[in-house]
Amino acid sequence: MRGLGARLGLDRWRALPLSRRRQILTPVLLGLGLLFPVLTGNAGNVDAAANAFTYVLLALGLNIVVGFAGLLDLGYAAFFAIGAYGYGIAASGQLKPEWSGFWTPLEWAGQVSRLVVPGQADSVQFHFTFWPMLAVSAIICAIFGMLFGAPTLRLRGDYLAIVTLGFGEIVPVVARNWEGLTNGAQGLGGIRTPRLFGFDFGFSPYPYYFLGLALVAAAVWISIRLQESRVGRAWMAIREDELAAGAMGVDHVHYKLLAFAMGAAVGGLGGTFYVAKLTTATPDMFTFPVSVMVLVMVVLGGLGSIRGVVLAALFVAFLQSVILQDLTEYVHALGRLVGSDALQKVELITSLELIFGIILVLMMIFRREGLWPAVRKVSALTREQQTAAPSRGTAVELGWARPEAAGGPGRPLLEIAGLRKSFGGVAAADDITLTVHAGELVSVIGPNGSGKTTLFNLVTGLIRPDAGSIRLEGREIGGRAPHEIVTAGVARTFQNIRLFNNLSVMENLLVGEHARLEAGVLGAIFRPPRVRREEQRAVERALEGVAIFGNRLLPRLDHPVYGLSYANRRRTEIARAIMTRPKVLLLDEPAAGMNPAETLELMDLIRAFRGLGITIILIEHKLDVVMDVSDRVVVLDHGVKIAEGAPAQVRNDERVIEAYLGRRRRAA
Amino acid sequence: MSGLDVVLQQVVNGLALGMMYALLALGFTMVYGIIELINFSHFSVFMTGTFVGLTVLNLMGVTAVSRSLSGLSLVTTLIALFLVTMLVTGLLGVLIERVCLRPLRNVSGTAPMITTIGVAFILINLMLLTFGPQAQRFPSLLPNWRWPLMGTAEITFKQLVLFAVGLVLMVVLSHLVKRTTLGKAMRATAQDADAARMMGIDVDRVVVLTFFLGSALAGAGSLFFGLYYGFTGYYIGYTTGLRAFTSAVLGGIGSIPGAVLGGLCIGLTQSLGGQLIGVKWTDVMIFSILIFVMVLRPSGLLGVRAPQKA
Repeated sequence: MRGLGARLGLDRWRALPLSRRRQILTPVLLGLGLLFPVLTGNAGNVDAAANAFTYVLLALGLNIVVGFAGLLDLGYAAFFAIGAYGYGIAASGQLKPEWSGFWTPLEWAGQVSRLVVPGQADSVQFHFTFWPMLAVSAIICAIFGMLFGAPTLRLRGDYLAIVTLGFGEIVPVVARNWEGLTNGAQGLGGIRTPRLFGFDFGFSPYPYYFLGLALVAAAVWISIRLQESRVGRAWMAIREDELAAGAMGVDHVHYKLLAFAMGAAVGGLGGTFYVAKLTTATPDMFTFPVSVMVLVMVVLGGLGSIRGVVLAALFVAFLQSVILQDLTEYVHALGRLVGSDALQKVELITSLELIFGIILVLMMIFRREGLWPAVRKVSALTREQQTAAPSRGTAVELGWARPEAAGGPGRPLLEIAGLRKSFGGVAAADDITLTVHAGELVSVIGPNGSGKTTLFNLVTGLIRPDAGSIRLEGREIGGRAPHEIVTAGVARTFQNIRLFNNLSVMENLLVGEHARLEAGVLGAIFRPPRVRREEQRAVERALEGVAIFGNRLLPRLDHPVYGLSYANRRRTEIARAIMTRPKVLLLDEPAAGMNPAETLELMDLIRAFRGLGITIILIEHKLDVVMDVSDRVVVLDHGVKIAEGAPAQVRNDERVIEAYLGRRRRAA
Repeated sequence: MSGLDVVLQQVVNGLALGMMYALLALGFTMVYGIIELINFSHFSVFMTGTFVGLTVLNLMGVTAVSRSLSGLSLVTTLIALFLVTMLVTGLLGVLIERVCLRPLRNVSGTAPMITTIGVAFILINLMLLTFGPQAQRFPSLLPNWRWPLMGTAEITFKQLVLFAVGLVLMVVLSHLVKRTTLGKAMRATAQDADAARMMGIDVDRVVVLTFFLGSALAGAGSLFFGLYYGFTGYYIGYTTGLRAFTSAVLGGIGSIPGAVLGGLCIGLTQSLGGQLIGVKWTDVMIFSILIFVMVLRPSGLLGVRAPQKA
């Protein structure tokens, strides 16, 4: 296998950088696509290919929702339907509203005409042109994508899928029953075909083939650009761990709706293209099996893998239109040969959905990442890298930091007052008041269950306080959403490390920068110089963040974090939190699970952060560490602050000893 | 015919229909309660059950057009029919669990649910290929006794049987889950499979038994469907299944009394809503309920556990 690959030059190919490979592949694939009609010389194949492009568009759209953002949509055919009916209604005589002045500009633009029938009121004849409708359908679908997505925002996984299934069931029923709009079960007929510079696409498959090719190329391009951008990283972060994504500044409401909208828009393109080619639209074309078919394509190719999804969609489409029919003919021929009546009657196309079912089951059991998953080029560590003595980041430097803020307690930075939170009658935070000054390092200690992590969750917005205020630089942040609090300047790590496991170290760090970058959807797709520069600087800053840990993370930049050692995952998480450029950094047991040497290294690092002017609040059980690095120690017990002061002072506090060791029984 | 007896008739029909959904929802909700799996294949098992029952009856020489049975021969036929069908569907459920779902037991996310969609497609299309696309007549074994209630409204023997069976099963299942050793093992598995294993519970056995019971229930439900409506078709798993599924969600997925309550609500919605608004909008009403419950109260009417699984 390997020998063959090497002989064919595959190894050399793989060694090329991604951008170079794309430079070579793009013209090759486009050329093949353009030449295909000539190469095959068979109008039937061209027609099949043009239809297949519809499926590719749908699969690419669903891939944005399910593959990138991890939102399983079981009713995706709804958007196919909405796009299809959108164009179908605008380009057929289905609606004939009464004429009014409203239509005059559209008439002038050649999109409608005034229908004069003697003895009746004048009506409007629709004949909207295909090209603007392509965009309009996409926008309509995007709006519906957000409408259908909005109710699912608080739901996860299976439950989200069920709601989308519900919408997917409702849309075809509405299409069937709203006869005035859709002509009911008979469907729309006489939909106008597209025209370009006076050339009518008509019923020849060739113009549709090239149109489809162009749409697919555009959808692939958009998908790739989105995936490799701030937007795509935010989606993947939500997919991997929604809570951690929020704690890194990703607004999950915004990005989920965006994923639904983008996915639906691409599906709408598919629907518009499909009805323009077919010139008819009926409710049966958009039922649950269609949603499942598109899901089969995405699952087969690999969730999130653009090339895999395109190939799988082409395969499934040709399976349906060519392969099964050819196979059927072979089986019939075999039947004639052996004189079997049964074989001559076999129609394999009827088992298409059976094949879909089998594909789903087999893929889920044996290959959930898909047949051609999105590759992650992981450079194997060299022997030197593996055996290198760990070097510490000698001098921690962060371009954005303000070391002048360092140097002892300054103005109050984080002010917590009267903070309360109870869970079903148990007070996890009971009237906590605490002020942290700029440049300070405050440790929070206390027995298990004393409310330390709850305090962090309240400050970072993961849970809402029942009462009390949390102010950062005088501005109230209590009860705000996590991503807003990150943007304001509070970052955290988690007690039980929450990284984006399937993303690389670099990607994790770039997600950390999310709140400090600006690129939106359009910026991500068109990548103007401003966005290009922003991305470049983001990578530079991430490298700066990695350098904090010397040579620990540097060789592993492109490794998925699930493969890292425990200590390296802790380090990645700290680096990721630092990438948000926090004013206050909340570290939740950063030394847990680290050996003494690693712990010492970490303590040096924490001191280095202080040197850069970052204020730190630390939860830690290793008391020697706490006593060593802290300016001030706060002790919690049962949600109540029982002591606060310099380390030495707290160490001898009666109540603290009691909280940790229990009350000494006094002899009567 | 006054308006009131039409409404009453629709209520009776709706409750009977609801009990049908409840029978299906019970097995589905039980599986969910133990392994938090939304098992779409449950409803295809139900659909397959109708064809198993049909085949069993044909093998016993009973067809839709043969003379009706009565007395002892009817009782023995019914007993044999239920035993064989429930055994076959139960084993089918076990097969699905062993082959398709056990490898995914510890896989988080939506993969197991997607698998059950695949299984559903396989079963639906196998039945379609074997028995053809047309609806099949199902022998109407139960007597067609009916009693007037008020005006033109009446209640049939079959409807009474459905009520009785639904309520008895609800009580029996609740008892099984709440009061027996197996039930305790089930609840422990539902809470924390690893901890249950460490306490000496054979988790695999519990899950297999749950699937067997749930699928056998689907088999029983399928026979009631056939006997009540007198037909079956490959598509009933989908149409009836999604409504039964909505019932389970409405009642509180994982809750046994909830499945029955949800089923009755959906049955009434279908019959009364169909009467008042129009049959063609039935599915829109039912799926709107599904969406509203999921969004506003994912734990349903009687559910205690809010969905946790991501």
